[in-house]
Amino acid sequence: MTNSGGITIDGVGMQFDGRQGVTALDGIDLDISAGEFVTLVGPSGCGKSTLLRIVSGLLEPTSGRVDVSGKTPNQARRDVDFGFVFQEPALFPWLRVLGNVLLPGRVLGRRNPNKGPESAEIARELLRDVGLEGFENHYPGQISGGMQQRVALARALSYGPKILLMDEPFGALDEFTRDRLNLQLLDVCNKAGSTVLFVTHSIQEAIFLADRVVVLSPRPGSIARIADVPWPKPRALEIRYEPEFAALTGELRGLLTVEDEVESAMNQP
Amino acid sequence: MSDTRERRSIANALLRFLPSAAVFVAGLVAWELWVNVRDVPSYLYPSPSDIGGELRDEGLSLAVDDLRWTMIEAVLGFLLGSGAAMFAAVVFVHAKFLERVLFPWAIVLQTVPIVAVAPLLTIWFGFTLTPKVLIAALICFFPVLVNTTKGLRSISTQAVELMSILSASKWSIFWRVRIPSSLPYVFAGLKVASSLSVIGAIVAEFTGADRGIGFVIIQASYRLDTRLMFAGIALSSAAGVLFFNVIGALERLALRWPDARLDR
Ligand SMILES: Nc1ncnc2c1ncn2[C@@H]1O[C@H](COP(=O)(O)OP(=O)(O)O)[C@@H](O)[C@H]1O
Ligand SMILES: [Mg+2]
Repeated sequence: MTNSGGITIDGVGMQFDGRQGVTALDGIDLDISAGEFVTLVGPSGCGKSTLLRIVSGLLEPTSGRVDVSGKTPNQARRDVDFGFVFQEPALFPWLRVLGNVLLPGRVLGRRNPNKGPESAEIARELLRDVGLEGFENHYPGQISGGMQQRVALARALSYGPKILLMDEPFGALDEFTRDRLNLQLLDVCNKAGSTVLFVTHSIQEAIFLADRVVVLSPRPGSIARIADVPWPKPRALEIRYEPEFAALTGELRGLLTVEDEVESAMNQP
Repeated sequence: MSDTRERRSIANALLRFLPSAAVFVAGLVAWELWVNVRDVPSYLYPSPSDIGGELRDEGLSLAVDDLRWTMIEAVLGFLLGSGAAMFAAVVFVHAKFLERVLFPWAIVLQTVPIVAVAPLLTIWFGFTLTPKVLIAALICFFPVLVNTTKGLRSISTQAVELMSILSASKWSIFWRVRIPSSLPYVFAGLKVASSLSVIGAIVAEFTGADRGIGFVIIQASYRLDTRLMFAGIALSSAAGVLFFNVIGALERLALRWPDARLDR
């Protein structure tokens, strides 16, 4: 466990107390090596967000343990090993776009290798990368939801975290922007060698991005299948039209639909 | 380009105030007509033109000799009361226990009738500035406390999670998230407090003062000088409106991002 950026999830379970005591996750085992791109797909409510929050140390699992390159999630979080892109952009409305991307640098202060005028340059470059050149001085309230999400992506990348956790980050984007950002994301992560755990509800997106796709099934959230994705990186969008891609998509979709049928059958009186 | 835009926005502002101004003028006209037509005794019901005359003759000296003091008391009380309230709000947000213990007393403080407390303070502090400032502060305290507490609590869980991912200190979260997200609420509270503070100062002046608009009004009432009373009322509410708008202007300066202001 010396490889920096690797994650080991070992028998993780999460039980929320409440009136019914939801078991959000049960017996999750997953080994992610450094630099690997893993996507999580599954119906909503199967614990994807919960798993990301456990890995990042925001939430303590009720059973099992997580190891992040030899550290506990909390230690890794304190060392700022994670970048997190939330489901909602979660930008600060009182900061302009550039200010939002610079925020991590300001918060990290002395611990941040990129600071001073350099960091502003890096921030501008990141904004260019996500197609927001010219919007540096807009407030979040003045740009669309999709653009806000791209700012959130640039913000997460701004301090070069080893591990990127992304929770349905492109769900609100149109298809073209999503394609472009997918390519950029692969490119950026490849260059930086970041480990990525990426949640999506699009099977196509999950396969296109991933080295491995993890399919989760609900109630309780558990791993239904881990599929290797054979195409080498860098990838072109065109691989999505290859028959093997379609076959894998169909297979994983079948897995999710079966789950749904079982679920609806169980809900029948 | 920006010049025309500015001119247009001024024109818009004028247009926006036009209906209110029209209502005001219509009210004055109706009042004037009523006094003249019904021939009511003018020492009881002075007409707007009488009051206008009074303001023309006495307005400047009233403003300089009396309103000035009332406003000094109001502004000092506003600063003291709002400052104390913001401090209390910060304490409350960080120590739930203290909030549980102290907030009920803040409500009690709020429900104490200030007209009853004012004479007491005057007995203790005499005809000085102190009782007026304290009463103005007392009346400002609660709205600012409630709004600031609410504002400091208005941070989203995602903002906190983001700061947590960045391993930010409590202090950093306080400055970078809590304070900015509270500002819209704080200003909403300050605007309420600003107009209340003038009322507080005047009430305190009723109970013992040798200058100030409240003193003028109470003295005039002993002499049945209703014109002077109305002149005092008009001046003090004009001052209240002015104070309110000064805080409003500060608010516009501080809250520049879209949809920041709560009352728009
Ligand atoms: N803080 C919480 N308290 C109680 N239940 C929760 C909490 N967070 C999530 N859950 C429950 O856990 C389950 C999984 O939630 P989540 O991880 O958000 O699913 P997903 O992201 O896959 O849609 C859901 O049933 C949800 O209601
Ligand atoms: Mg989710």
